[in-house]
Order: sequence, then C-alpha cells, then structure tokens
Amino acid sequence: MNTKKSLIYFVLLISLFSLLGCVGESEPEHNEDGQLIVKLGKQTATNPKLPEGDTFEDNAYTRLAEEVLDIELVNDFEANGEDYDRQVALAISSGELPDMMQVSQEEFEELYENDLIADLTDVFEEHASDYIQGLYDSYDINPLEDTTFEGRIYGLPAAVNVTPPHMIWIRQDWIDQLQLDFDADGDKLITIEELESLAQTFIEEDPGHTGNPVGIPLAHWLNEPGYGGAFTMTTIGSIFGSYPRNWIERPDGNITNGSLMPETKEALAQVKDWFDRGILDPQFGTRSWDDIMALAVNGQTGIVTGAWHMPDWGLSNVKEMHPDVVFEAYTLVDDQHKVNIASQNPSGSIAVARKDFSDPDILIKMINLFYDTLKNEPNLEEVYPDIYQYQVLDVDGAVRPLNMEILGSTSELEHYAEIRDALNGEIEVSDIPDARNQSIALSIMEYNDNPEGASTAAWALYHSRMKGLKLGQSLIDHNHFEWVHPVFFGTTPAIEQYYGNLLSMEEEEFIKIVTGVESIDHFDTFVEMWHRQGGDEILAEIEAEIAE
Amino acid sequence: MKLDYIFKGARIMQQRKRTASKRLTNSNLTYHLMILPGIVFLLIFNYAPMFGLVMAFQDYVPAKGIFNSDFVGFQHFAYMFSLPSIERVFTNTIVIAGGKIIFNTLLAIVFAILLNEIRVRWLKKSVQTIVYLPNFLSWVVLASVVVNMFNLDGSVNHILDNFGVGPFNFLGSNQLFRPLIIGTDVWKSFGFNSIVYLAAITSIDPGLHEAASIDGANWWRRVWHVTLPGMLPIILLLAILNLPNILNGGFDQIYNLYSPVVYQSGDIIDTYVYRVGLMGRDYSFGTAVGLFKSIIGLVLILSANQTAKKFTERQLF
Amino acid sequence: MNLQNKSLSAKIGKTLIYVIIIFLGLVTLLPLLNIVAISLSSSGAVTANAVGIIPVNFTLEPYKMLVDDPQFWRSFGISVQRVFLSLGLNMILIIFMAYPLSKRKSEFKGRSIYMNLLIFAMLFNGGMIPTYLVVRNLGLLNTIWSLVLPSAVPVFSVILMMNFFRGVPKALEEAAIIDGATPMQVLLRVYLPISIPSLATVALFSIVGSWNDFFSGLIYMTRTTNYPLMTYIQSLTVDIQQMIQQGINSTNLSELMGVSDRNLNAAKIVVSSIPLILIYPLLQKYFITGIVVGSVKE
Repeated sequence: MNTKKSLIYFVLLISLFSLLGCVGESEPEHNEDGQLIVKLGKQTATNPKLPEGDTFEDNAYTRLAEEVLDIELVNDFEANGEDYDRQVALAISSGELPDMMQVSQEEFEELYENDLIADLTDVFEEHASDYIQGLYDSYDINPLEDTTFEGRIYGLPAAVNVTPPHMIWIRQDWIDQLQLDFDADGDKLITIEELESLAQTFIEEDPGHTGNPVGIPLAHWLNEPGYGGAFTMTTIGSIFGSYPRNWIERPDGNITNGSLMPETKEALAQVKDWFDRGILDPQFGTRSWDDIMALAVNGQTGIVTGAWHMPDWGLSNVKEMHPDVVFEAYTLVDDQHKVNIASQNPSGSIAVARKDFSDPDILIKMINLFYDTLKNEPNLEEVYPDIYQYQVLDVDGAVRPLNMEILGSTSELEHYAEIRDALNGEIEVSDIPDARNQSIALSIMEYNDNPEGASTAAWALYHSRMKGLKLGQSLIDHNHFEWVHPVFFGTTPAIEQYYGNLLSMEEEEFIKIVTGVESIDHFDTFVEMWHRQGGDEILAEIEAEIAE
Repeated sequence: MKLDYIFKGARIMQQRKRTASKRLTNSNLTYHLMILPGIVFLLIFNYAPMFGLVMAFQDYVPAKGIFNSDFVGFQHFAYMFSLPSIERVFTNTIVIAGGKIIFNTLLAIVFAILLNEIRVRWLKKSVQTIVYLPNFLSWVVLASVVVNMFNLDGSVNHILDNFGVGPFNFLGSNQLFRPLIIGTDVWKSFGFNSIVYLAAITSIDPGLHEAASIDGANWWRRVWHVTLPGMLPIILLLAILNLPNILNGGFDQIYNLYSPVVYQSGDIIDTYVYRVGLMGRDYSFGTAVGLFKSIIGLVLILSANQTAKKFTERQLF
Repeated sequence: MNLQNKSLSAKIGKTLIYVIIIFLGLVTLLPLLNIVAISLSSSGAVTANAVGIIPVNFTLEPYKMLVDDPQFWRSFGISVQRVFLSLGLNMILIIFMAYPLSKRKSEFKGRSIYMNLLIFAMLFNGGMIPTYLVVRNLGLLNTIWSLVLPSAVPVFSVILMMNFFRGVPKALEEAAIIDGATPMQVLLRVYLPISIPSLATVALFSIVGSWNDFFSGLIYMTRTTNYPLMTYIQSLTVDIQQMIQQGINSTNLSELMGVSDRNLNAAKIVVSSIPLILIYPLLQKYFITGIVVGSVKE
C-alpha cells in the first residue's frame, strides 16, 4: 500500500513538473483549404492608418502574401515597443517561437546561441531574387555579415542607409508668426546659440498658447548609435565630435566607445547647461516616448530631434491636431560649418525563422514579394489595385507581415532625386521606376497645388521628402559632412555578457549628470566604472577581432 | 485506513457513538471531496511553477528547457551579491516598504481615534466612505491621478507656488521619489487600514472611559491611558504580521510611476526582477533574485507568525 | 484651571478633531475629483494645467469620443466577463475549501496536510516565468481562462473565511446534525446564511482584485484586442489618428480640438472606475464586519 501511495505521489509530481516542459515538436498545421498556417510574431505600430475593417492580421498586404504564397498568416502575438519586446522574451523563455518574427540584434544573437532559429543559407541562395541580393550587396559592408555565423546565414536584416544628418524639426509657422530672424541665410544650418535662443523665445512667447511651453524635449536614453533616433541628442553631440555608443578608433590607435570620449562629456555639459537654464524639458528623464510625442501634439514644444522621415509617422499627429502647422528641418553645425557624423550600421531589425519551421523558404519568398516584386511593379494600380489603394491612403508599411525595409545603400536619395525631377517637370511621374515613389510624387504635387487643403498624408510626404531628404542632399552637395567610421559593428562574447548592463548604466549616469544629481565630473567616474564592469574585456576582444 | 478506523471505532464505541463515528467518516470523505477542486488548482497553478525554481540553479537555455539545461549551482547567487546595483535594490525595497508599514499604521491609528470622536453621523459615514474608496482603485488608475497631481506643472506644485516654494519634480527626483511613493500609498490605504483599529476602539469597555473622566482625565489623557492600551494588542499583532511585507515595495505602484531617473531611489526587487529577468531575458538570474526574496520572506513570515502567537496568543494561520 | 476654561479648551479640541477629519476626507477626495474635472475640461485648459476640481471650458467630447472607441468597450467587456467568472470560481473554491479546513483535526483527518499546502502556496511562488510556462503549456494564452484560473484559489480569502467559520457556534452545527443533515447541508443551510458579511468581504476582494489586475493581461494576452480594461489603460499610447478617425464620425473638427490624449485618458480612467465605485458602497456595510472578524484567529 505504501509503495502504491508513493507511486501515486511520484506520478503526480512528474505530471506537475511536466507542465513546465516544452510541448514538443509541433507538426505543421494546415487550414481547411490545405494551406499551411504560418504563425508570425508581429511588430505593430501606432497610427497605422488602416482602412476600416482591416487589421494587422488581415489587410491588403497579408491577403496578397496569403494568395501568392498559398498560406494562411496568423499572428501569434502582435504588439509594439516594449510590449513587443516582452512578447519576444516570453516566447523565447518557453523555447517555442512563432514560425517567423523580427528581432533585435541582441535577441538575434541569443536565439542563435540557444539554437532556436533556422539556418537560412540554402533557402536564401536558392530563392532570394537577384534584386534582393543586389540590395544587400550595394553596401560597403554587406548587412548579411551581421547575421552570418561561420559562413551560415541565420537571419535577414533590414537594410537602410538612413539619410543623414540627424535633424531638428522646428515649427516654422511659429517662427513666422513671431516674425523671428531665424536662420537668416536660409541654408537650414544653425548654430547651437541660434537653437538655444529660439528655444528660449518659444518658452517666453508660448506660440502654442498652451500656458505650459517646453523648450527642447529629449528622450531619457539620450543617444542611439547612428543618426536616426527620435528625440535623441545626436545632432547636439555631432557638433562636439561626440559619437556615443559607437566603437571608435582614437588618433592614438586605441579603440574606445564613443560614450567615453571627452567630446561626449562636453556635449553632456551642454545639455546639462540647458537643463539648468530651463531650456531643456524640466521633466527630462521622467517622460516616456509617448509623453514627448504628446508635447509636440499639444503644441507645448516646437522643437524635436529625429530623422528625415519623422513627419511620416510622428509629426503627422501634430498636423492632425493643428491643420496649419508647418515644420522645417534644420541641423546643427560647428564653427567650421561641418556636421560631424559617424557612419551607421545599415542593418536594423532582423527577420528570423523558427528552427523547425517546415518551410523557411516562405520567409525568403515573402521578402521577394514585398521588397522586390511590389517595389518594381511598373503598373501597380492595375496589377495590385488593393496595394495601390493603400499607398494612396499612405497606410503605414508596418501593416506588412514584416515591419522592416530592405533598400539599397543609396536608395533614399535616388528616390528623392526622382521625385524632385518629376516635380520640376524634368521627367514624367510615370518615368519614376518605383510605384510607391510615383504615388509619393503625386501626393506632393497635390500638396503643392493646395498646401492648406492637402491631406495629412500629402503634408507628411511633402515634409519628409522636400524638407528632410532635401536637407540631406544639400549637405552632400555642399560638402558639409565630416565622416567618422566606427571600426566595429558586430558582437563579441564580452559584448553579449556586459554591454546591456553597460548601456543601462550609461543611461542612468548620464541622466544623473544632466539633471544635476551628480556634477559633470561624475563623467570621469562613469568612465572608470565602465572600464571596470566588463568594458575592458569588450575592448580587448574587439581589438583582437580587428587584428584578425 | 478508513476501514481500520471504522473497525476500531466499532469495537470501542457504544452503539450511539458508533453511528456518530460513521457519520464522521462519511463527513471526512465529503470534506476531502469538497477541498479537492481547490487543491487541484493549487497544485497546477501554484505548485507546478515552483518546480521552475530550479532555473535559479541552472544556466537555463530555453531550447533545452528545464529538464535539460545545465546546472551551475549557486553561480547566479554569487553574481547577484557581486552586483553593486543589488544592494541598492534591497535598500530601496526595505526603505519604501518599511516607510509604508510605519506611516500606514500610524495614520490609520490616529484617524481611527479621531473618527471615533465624531458625533455627527452623516459626516462620519461620508468621511468613512471617502477614505475607504482609494483602496479599491487600481494603481493603473491612481498612477494617472498621482502624475496629474505631482507633475512639475501639476496641482501640488501650483499650490506650493502660492506659498513661494518649489516647483519640485517629485517624479524625477531621487530625494522626493521615495516620500512620494510612501505618501501616495498611505493616501490610498490608511482609511481601509483604520477599519480594524476602529473596531478595536469600539470594543473597549465604555466604563473605563467614564471612570477616567470622573477622575478628571481630559480627552488627551483618556486616549493615552485608555484607548491606546485597549488597542495595543491589535496594533502589536498587525505590526508583527506586517513585518514580512518589508520585502514587498509594491510592484504595481512603482511600475506605473517610476522612470530611469529614479531607479537610484525607487527600483525595488520586484521591478528589478521584471526588468532583468524578463525584459533582459536573463531568466535564470531573475529567478534567482526572486527566489532569494521568497526565502527571506518565508523566514520572516514564519517567525512573525510565531512571534504573534507568543506575544498576543493570536496568529494568522 | 476653572471649569469654563476647561470646556473652552475641550471645545477647541473638538473643533480641531473635526477639522482634521474633514481635512483628511478632502485630501482623499480632491485628487479623485481632479481627474474627473480633467476629463470634462477642454484640452487647452488641461494642457495648461488650469484645471482644479472644477472643469474649465466644460466639454463632453472626451466621453463622446470614448463611446466610439471599440477597443475600450471590448476590453471593458473582457474585464466584466473576467470578474464574473473569477467571482463564481473564487467563491465556490473559497467556501468549499474554508469549510472543511475550519474543522478541528479530529473532525477532519488530513486537515493539516491541506492546511500546510495552502499556507506554503501563500508564502512561496514559482515566479513569473515558470507560471507563464504552465499557463502557456495548458494552452490558456489569449483565453479568458488565463485571467481566471491562475488566481482561482485566493489563499488569503480562504483563510479569512476559515477563521470566520470557526467562530460559528458549534451548537448550531450539532443541532443540524442531530436533525440528520449531511455536511453539505450543514454548510449550505447553517454556515452560509450567517456568513454573509464575510462572504461579501471575500467577494469584494475577488471583484476588486480581478478588475484591477493589469499584469496578467500584459503577460498572457499576446494582442491588444484581448487586453482586459486595466491592461488596455496601462498601455495607452498617443493614438491621434485613431482618435481623429473616430472623431470624424461623430463630430466636426472644431469640437475635436477640445480633445487631447490627457482628457481622453482621464475619461477612460473615470469610466473604468465606475463599476467599482458602484459596487463598493453596496458591500461596505458587510466588509467592515467581515474584515474585523475574519482577519485573525484567536
């Protein structure tokens, strides 16, 4: 009787324990029509501008993919921002991933180490179109190198050479309304003093009539590598020659992280000075990304930093609330009228397939469909009328199964040149090869004909191209860029182990410095802490890798 | 075994007692059946996850799962103690939780004593209804209320401005964040906490008050010499039983109110475990920190229960 | 000290007590009124922080817009459903666990095993990730049950109920048993009718707990459309486009200008709190008794 009893307890114990285990290999599932069901981890976006009835799971793009690839797409999870990261973390913790999803570089490496994602080398070589392969090849350093381990490709990275510089988007309607003599020569290059006095004027005059104006808001993480970050201080750092979060070779040949450079200390001192004088948002640090967006939308601030494409997804909200709003893109320059800039790793988030996914070729075919076929279809309106309709409505590309872009290294400025030429009448709109750019050109014409009555979509496209990209092109034309090339983009074991922690420490210490919890000299302590908490090991490993 | 019992019972007991015993056995079966569904839920949703605690001693690799991940012993615990941030997290937790316990208790007692003096029935009732209310609202909701009040440009700073002080960045200052967290928590729950004390006061023999009055004791003295001693057992009991909460800083509240600026003063064990263990995908380490907290909590609550039993002859379970 | 003086100081003391009590009541109430006022004020006034406890530039637009937010009502529905399911399940399990446990060891063999299981479950838990794995492996993700089943046994309420049952006079039970009542009948006919205050208390805890919890939704629901209300409110973002789209159906643009994320969110907060504010006074008279009697065992 006792053995029987123990047996019962034992079985109970094991069955409880098994509740924690993996469910095991999952068989490919098919729907009633015999189509393979493909599960996605879907990164969404706010304000997708989807027509009524359509969702992130069921829209013109997903329907097209389902039809062309003969599959059914189901979203295992859908979220954006921190919610998406959490869902990815939870999925990884269980060891059961959706068939396909997008992950960050950090998550990607972890997935590879944990042997959870599929080797895509063969399907990529067999199925990826020449055009797609060409896009990747157009970069000096192929973005695929970031996702290749020992010669095998484990993920397909987004590839975009975001057009520099990091910009400052300013409410031009306020400048006009206050009749300010700002950027008198009209070259959109401003000095830090000009920016400072403009922010001060905005605070004093409160042109948004909110009773509660804010000068310059910045996000609490302050820096991102590259120059695409919204609400970061990249453009401010650039005039000091500070390139935080990049691996930089110093003149003496030593490698360091841009965050540790004395130039970064100077840039921080500048931001701290603004905080002390109330030019920086006095609630800096406590505001979330959404809070800062809300400051712009409410008309509390008229100065935000970000990339050229900001009007398309962020500033368009401001336009919705204030129909007469006009933004202008500026950038900061140093005494020599130069913009110091560290070149950016073109790869972004990475599309991966689950290790045991039966048909990983679907991922490649999907990429062909969205980043080759649709892009290069000269007659989109007739061949894919639903997609054409979406582009007219300016539905956010985030509703596609993969929320990423794969472009060639110079695509953005080439597209800009085509659109500009069409607007100037040098070429016909129908001569523009890319259907999406044709519809962008038409929208901008609509805006030019009637700026006051134009739709938000036309307003956004006009601002991002004819102000944002135009500024980038003009800086190239007039030779204002001073490039610095980070020596290392990849990863090492020590980076995996320590860098995450170092980044959160950097964020916290920089916040302390800016808000005056610590003096500016605390920066030197931060540098010491950085070296001690694994930084030295990282630098040694990077030097070893470069030496190879 | 049950048969044995009946047999034994049948032999020893008289006829009447035998019926009773049979009924008792029947009852026993019913009792087991009654409690079974609840126990099943406990086993599945409380006990099964506990096996997951082995993660704390493993290098948990999701692909291998809990069964096949390698054991690393106490490595994660060693790492935990080597981190400078861990000390801060524990200090924050204890200071915040301790502050909450102390001030909640004090204000609840004072409020109960004062409220007991109110003779205007409608006023007493309305005040009670109002102060119990926030306890039932979610921190998701109350966080918005708090942010609205304590923003740099919120109402509190407006009021302070009238006195020529401030403004204070309550949500973004490492000096003010802890007081804010403690203060708003007390604001939320002092009313509800006062219920038990109010009951204790009303159960004090009115004769004692009368006697004290006749002796010429004023209100203040009567509170000091009659009311408080009358409440002492319950105060002591609740204080002891609250002790284990010293490691619960209040995840919901802090998660909804903190930002990186105040990690220094406001990051508690639970928020830290969430950020590192889940968002940072350091599952094993997060579990280790959580386990460490649970063990200390377990020791605290068991000793608190014993202490309560010893000093007040009451206990929670 | 003469008599008059004494009564004067007593009067001052009395007044002081009233002042303090009223002050505490106001301090609790005003912040709540503030959020109500914000939800009823124009966006301009809200952004300028000009709103105290009285709405400035009164508007109902945020509420009109809220009516058109399908996700708010979907989440509201999920929360209501969850509260009812949780309440039903919690009450059944609480009653059927607390009753046997309230028996003495001699009356209920095996009691101490169950009691220890229960207490250990209250003191110790497996943590977030393992619990998530169990819920996931049971296939509960994205179902309402993931919000209900993991908290099916509220241990503290079981103990509270058990302590209350212990206070029920034995004579009542014995009388029923002599009349031939089964344990089930004893529970239903003797214990439950006199346990209304405690039942109301644990019911209130159950309702409040499941209505207010946002974290399970964050973990167990993989898409916004499945979020319960508090999770939805917690993850609110600036979604102007959606606002505008809804707005255009119901109103013209100039009215729309009266709405911003802040007064709209305030309106969501107010509406989401209404169910609790309605239920709480109904149960108030019971829970005071329930808490006092059940919280500790003699």
